[in-house]
Parts: sequence; C-alpha cells; structure tokens
Amino acid sequence: MEFASLQDLCLLLISLAIRRCICSERLCRLSVLLQRSPASDPPLVRISISDTGLGSCIEEFQNLKCPVEGILAETWNGIVYVRTTNICDKEISCYELNLKENVTTRKPILLPSNIKHGVKFSGTEVCLSVSESVDVLLEEFNCFFQKILVLKVPNIAMEVMADGQDVPGSRNDAVFLEKFSPSSSFAASTLDHLKLGLESYVLRHGSSLACDSCFPNRDNLRSGGGMVCEDKHKTTKLVVEAAVVTSEIPNPTNNCFGAGCSDTKVLCFKDFAPCSISEALLKALTGIDWKRYGLALECAIDQRSHALLKWEHMPLSFHIHIVVHCYDKLVFEAMPLLQKTRFDKKLIRKAVKLALDDFKNKHAGVLLSADTLKVLACSRRNQEQLPKLASIFHLQISKFAPDLAKSIAGLVLYSSDMDFKEECLAILGLQPHQSEGEIVGENIKKKIISAIEVNDRRQQGTREVAPLLFEGRHELQYVDDECDEDGFDPMDL
Amino acid sequence: METTGLFKSSMRFFSDQELCYADILTPQEVLARIQVAVLNFLRILSSSTPAISNLPLIDRSSSNSRVNQGILTDESWIFLSHSFCTRSLMRANAAKAFVRVWKLMEMCSQILLQEKRVTQRELFYKLFCDSPAYFPTQLHVNRTIQDVVALLRCSRFSLGVMASSRGLVAGRLLLQEPEQETVDCAACGTSGYAISGDLDLLQKLTLKTDARYVIVIEKHAIFQRLAEDRVFNHIPSILITAKGYPDMATRYFLHRISKTFPHLPIFGLVDWNPAGLAILCTFKYGSIGMGLEAYRYACNVKWLGMRGDDVQLIPQESLVSLKPRDLQIAKSLMSSEILQENYREELTLMVEGGQKAELEALYHNGFDYLEKYLVKKIIQFNYI
Repeated sequence: MEFASLQDLCLLLISLAIRRCICSERLCRLSVLLQRSPASDPPLVRISISDTGLGSCIEEFQNLKCPVEGILAETWNGIVYVRTTNICDKEISCYELNLKENVTTRKPILLPSNIKHGVKFSGTEVCLSVSESVDVLLEEFNCFFQKILVLKVPNIAMEVMADGQDVPGSRNDAVFLEKFSPSSSFAASTLDHLKLGLESYVLRHGSSLACDSCFPNRDNLRSGGGMVCEDKHKTTKLVVEAAVVTSEIPNPTNNCFGAGCSDTKVLCFKDFAPCSISEALLKALTGIDWKRYGLALECAIDQRSHALLKWEHMPLSFHIHIVVHCYDKLVFEAMPLLQKTRFDKKLIRKAVKLALDDFKNKHAGVLLSADTLKVLACSRRNQEQLPKLASIFHLQISKFAPDLAKSIAGLVLYSSDMDFKEECLAILGLQPHQSEGEIVGENIKKKIISAIEVNDRRQQGTREVAPLLFEGRHELQYVDDECDEDGFDPMDL
Repeated sequence: METTGLFKSSMRFFSDQELCYADILTPQEVLARIQVAVLNFLRILSSSTPAISNLPLIDRSSSNSRVNQGILTDESWIFLSHSFCTRSLMRANAAKAFVRVWKLMEMCSQILLQEKRVTQRELFYKLFCDSPAYFPTQLHVNRTIQDVVALLRCSRFSLGVMASSRGLVAGRLLLQEPEQETVDCAACGTSGYAISGDLDLLQKLTLKTDARYVIVIEKHAIFQRLAEDRVFNHIPSILITAKGYPDMATRYFLHRISKTFPHLPIFGLVDWNPAGLAILCTFKYGSIGMGLEAYRYACNVKWLGMRGDDVQLIPQESLVSLKPRDLQIAKSLMSSEILQENYREELTLMVEGGQKAELEALYHNGFDYLEKYLVKKIIQFNYI
C-alpha cells in the first residue's frame, strides 16, 4: 500500500481505524488528535489516530510503503508508534515501526507493554510526529471526514481535535464531530447508509448544515441504490455499492451548485476511504446506457477527487448525484488485512445500473426514457424555460398518482352494486375475477401516470385542456388549494 | 312605479332561474351520483386520448353570490349562481386538493353504504388517521366537504355528514319526536333543549307553541341568563341560540319554527359589534360558504338589539375599541349587496364610532335590566 504524502499516510491510517471499528460491530470512537509542541526544534506536531475498534495485528502496517525519497524526507522520520489491544488481551502491546525501511526487511520493535489490570477494552493508537502545519493537516482531515460522512458509517463517533499548547492548559475544541444517528443501526445495510449519507451530503453540499435556500425541504430529494458482490477469497468477497440521489432546486439561477450548472460529481470510495478516480471507474460510467434513464452523457472527466459527468440537455434545476463504494467484505470472522481492492469495471457498471433501476422503480415518472427527452430537447431549442418546467411538473404531480388510484379503486371495489363494479372493470380492461384491490389499484395508477406523461410530453402551447368530469358545464377558472392560504373566515358574508 | 323600479322587480322575479342549489337526496341517489363520477373518470382515463378529468365545482365566492329579494314576502336570501371553478390534478398547487375530493367521496360512500351518519369532527378523525398528509386539520375536511357538495350538487347532510349540534332552545315550545315523549322546553332548565344535528330528526319533530315571539340570541351566557330568569314566561317566547356562529341545524330548526308558526316575529339579540351583525345576517340571509344549501333556511329575523341608540344605556367604560378583525368583518358586510339600508347605517355608526359593546354591559343597570330592555323594545316596535 503506497502513500505519496504525509496526508495520504494519515488518511490511510484513519481508514484502517474505520475498518477495525466496523469489524468490531459495536459502538466505537475514532479520534484524531493533533498536538503542537513548539518547544522542540524544529517545532513538531504529534498526530495521534486512535480508535476503540478491534485490536490491530501489526501486519496491517507492515505493508505500508513509503516513497524512498522526496517530500517526506524533511518532515518526518518514518517512525510510527502503535499501541493496540484486543478485548481478551491482558496487556496493551506497543510497537515502534519505521515505515521508511524496506517492506521486506522491516521488523517492528517491541516496546514494553502496558498491563490492563483486568479492565476489558480494545483499541489501537497510532502516533507519529511530523513537522507540518497544523492548519494544513486540519484542512485535509476535515475534507476527508466530510466525504466519509457520505458513507454514513454506522455507530462510529468521529472527532478531530487540535490541542494548542502555546498557552498552557488551552484546548481547541473538536473542530469536527460526527454525531451518532440513533436511527441507524447495524441492522440497516451499508447500502442504506450510503443512500442516506449521499442525501445528507447533497443537502449540506460541503458545509456542516443543510442549505435552506437550495433545499427548503427534504421532499425534493429522491434516491435509489444498488449492490453487487463477487467472491474473492475464502474469507472475503468484493462488494460494489452505488447510490443515486436526484434533487430539484427551486431557484436554478441562484444556488450553491453554481448558476447554469447541472453536471454530476461522482464520488468514489474504496475500503471506507475516499479514493482518486481510476480508469476502470471512468470506463464503467461511460459504458452505461444512460438513454434508458432519459439522460444523454456528453463526457466523463477525471477530476482526481471525483469524476465529473457532463450531460446534454439537462434541465438547470435538476441534479443527479452518484456515489460508488468498493470494499472487501469479510465472509468469516477474520482480521481484515489490507488487500489490494481492485476496481472491476463490470461490477461498477452493474452496481450503478442497479441503483438507477431501483430509483426508477421507486419514483415513477422520473428519469423518463429517451423519447420523452428528445421531445423536451426539441422544445428547449424553442423555449428555454419549457423542459425545466416539464420535469418539475412530473416530479410534483406523479407522486399523487398512487393515492388517487387507491381512492378510486376503493370506490369501485367497496360498492355493493355488481353492475357498477363490472362496468368499471370492463372500462379498465380487466376481467371480473381480477377484482382485487391491488390489481385494480395498480391498473388505475399506471393509467394515471401514463396520462400525466402524455400531458407532459405535449408542448405547453398545445396542451389540451382536460375534459370535465360532468358534461354540460362550462369551465371557467382554475382554483388552487385554498387550505394553504391564510384565514378561513366563517364570516364569509 | 319608476321604470327602474319595474326593471328591478322584474329581475327579482327571474332571479330564481339563476339559482344553483344542492339537492337533498337519499343515500341511494348520492351513491348513484358518485358512481357516475367514477365511471366518467375511468372512461376518460381509459380513452384513446387518456386524461385526468378536471372537477367542476360551483364557485363559492362573493363574485358568484346573488341576492334574492322577496317580492311578496319580506324574506331575502343569498344564493350561488352557475359560475364554476375547476380543480385539476395537473396544477402542482392544486393537486392535493384534487385528491382530497376523491378521498372524501370514497369515505362518504363507505359511510352511506353502512347507513351511518357522522359529524364533521368524526370524519376528520377518520380521514386524519387514514391520510394525515391530505387532511392535517379540520379545516381541510370542512372545505373538502363543501367541494364535494359543490361537485355532486347534493346537500352535506345527504353525504352522511351530520351538522354539529350546538344549538339550544328554551321557552314556550313543545317538541315531540315520533313515538317519543313530548319535551317541554320551558322545563328544561337553564341549559335548554339541545337541537340535534340530525336534520331528518328535526324535520320529523311535531311543534306546538303558545309563544308570541321568537328570540334568537348570539351568546350562550345571555341565553342562560334569560332562561334562568324564565323570561319566556313573562314575555311568552321561544329562546334559541347557536352559541355563536349559526350552524346548519340551528338555522334549519329556526326555519322550521318560522314556517310552522308564520305569525311569530323573530327577533335577534346580538352584541353591538360587526361580528354580532354578521351572525344576525347569517340567520337572516344564509351564507356564501354553504350557499348551495343555506339559502333554504333564511328567516326574516329582525334586529332588536343591541343597536346604536342603546349605547347610551351602558356606561362609557364598557365600550371597547374595534379591533382590525372587527373592521375586516365590517368591510365584508358593507360590500355585501344584501345588507339593507338601515343595517348599513347602523354599521356605519359602529365603524365611525370605532367602539363595540357586549350585551352584558346592560347588567350595569341591574341583573333584571335585560328583561326590561327586551320588553320595552318589543312593545315599542323598536326593531329593524
């Protein structure tokens, strides 16, 4: 496992800690502490990464490969101190390891251990001292943790603290703290967490709080997820999970995503850590039949920390967000060694496709087929506003279809009049024996959505006015929902 | 008669043709109308040009309200005409209201099939448990009921929804439900006899009286005071209250009394404020909100008190400034076509004076003063 910089090493150590916490399957704490010691010359920062997950086996660190020369020469001496213990151990083992030594020849130096005096706990602490600016390190860690939040790793409390020793006794409080979410549990899958995490990430887009101007409420977000896995070894299998979240921005011209921008950032994670974009991922993304989902991909660009997908004819207010996570899952209880998780292009493509299909099934009427998109694209050349309105319209109206269909099916089936029931079924094209609530409801729902789509596809100028329920009455004006307005006035004289 | 006067009275004669009303139907007839609605909807949905039909509703706003002024009688009433508004699923702001109408029709059809009747409150709880996203408050239920009334053109009661029973009656009146004991409203104590919300039941009541007047009272407290003092024995009368804004059942009951005993004048006793006048006018003319039905139950109620020249009877301290809400109501009343001239004058007096007063202020002159006040007013024909 190679790391190119100090930051890379730290992030790697943090992801090892996360894996240990996940494998422990219980509530854990992960802390990153930066301690300044200006008294030393040159001034050093002690980085401590500690967790209360499973105890580490020192082999985890054996394979970490430091670049022979270069950047790290001046800032760090290559030494890491590892203290680790398992629940049943009677002692805390301590090691010193020099990562600048050759991998094949390096050996950890065993240091005096600490006795636990009968107290049962497990955890690991890795320390190293570097000459680097605390602020630079903090920024890296913050960025990392913001991304990690997308994975919504369950039940790990994460914190980053910087200890200012310029003034004795002062302590900077946690600059980053990930709260437990009481609703998330080990019972929920990592895929569910991934979907929720992406939604939260979209709502916050980089900051710590949900953005009210872009997202007045969470209803504007829709999500779907997919997972594939493949057996790798006897003890592990490779899992690829993908999540898709779409959002509607009420004000497309003035929002945090940048006016006039509907590009998609694809976030990529490997083994519970953010990773840079690989060729395999880009190929997987370009190989998907986006037209099936009403999307036309212009190109996919590697932007190091994420992949950027540029679309043709995407409505400005509509955004798609995608995340892909590949990791090794332990089949049996075993210490997770850091295997080289490869990116499998086929698996990634399949996972993303499953996520899009799941999304489309859950949110009827969204991500329409290419035909509809062509019509929208055509009308967009004439009127800039039109496709944006059409897609908002779709999202807003079609969500009522299930409830409406259920009511009307209820009216049909609850009736005691057999003739009426039969006539209704005949109109719907159903046989008398197909009079179960679900069948009738589904049939009506499909027809309603189809009617909405037909309506949507027509250009606004040529949209026909829908017929009235009762004949012979002249239509005048449309009314909105008055219950949403203020003041019911009983004195309505 | 002047040409304009003749023209006006001819128009009155023809105004009945503009009248739009909700039928009082049997449950079977209502269910039949609902069936027609469902069949039409499904036909249009499954046609070669599928669409989701819009719902045409009688417009219940002041712009669609008309006034009928009685030619041969003194009764005038408000009614709604044939102006429509449309609820459509295809409008994002109206889609929820659209679905509500269907959900309510589904609920009402179940109620009617079970041969039950429910109050609006019970209906709210049922709908709230079933679909809280669509019916989060009582207001949503009440408004949707009016939508269904306006769509199917049948009365609320026909849908299986009972009016609330808020009204009370006391005094010289004998009531008898079919095959039940006769109830003497003079012996009911200060709480009086509760007017049922079941319009069918009210219709079947046998009524007997030896009263000479009917007094409609705005507030429960005043009703109780007069009932306790047995004023209805000193002035042979029937006392009725709806404890505030008149509900349908109380209006219906009053209307029945006025039709059964047409010689009995009906007096209104309300506070000196725009809300009091509005209550009086609702008994008198009906309302727009329930305009498809309320027109039937308008009665010729005369405004006994409190009025402008009664203000001198109360101490200055009991006068309170009019609030913005009062002014809003006053404005709404003023702009109504139906308000007769002398009422308009009184209202202007109220607004210009900028103050209001409650009937209880009369107690300043003694607890028995209210009765004396009533007697004096009636004897002197001091009502409008």
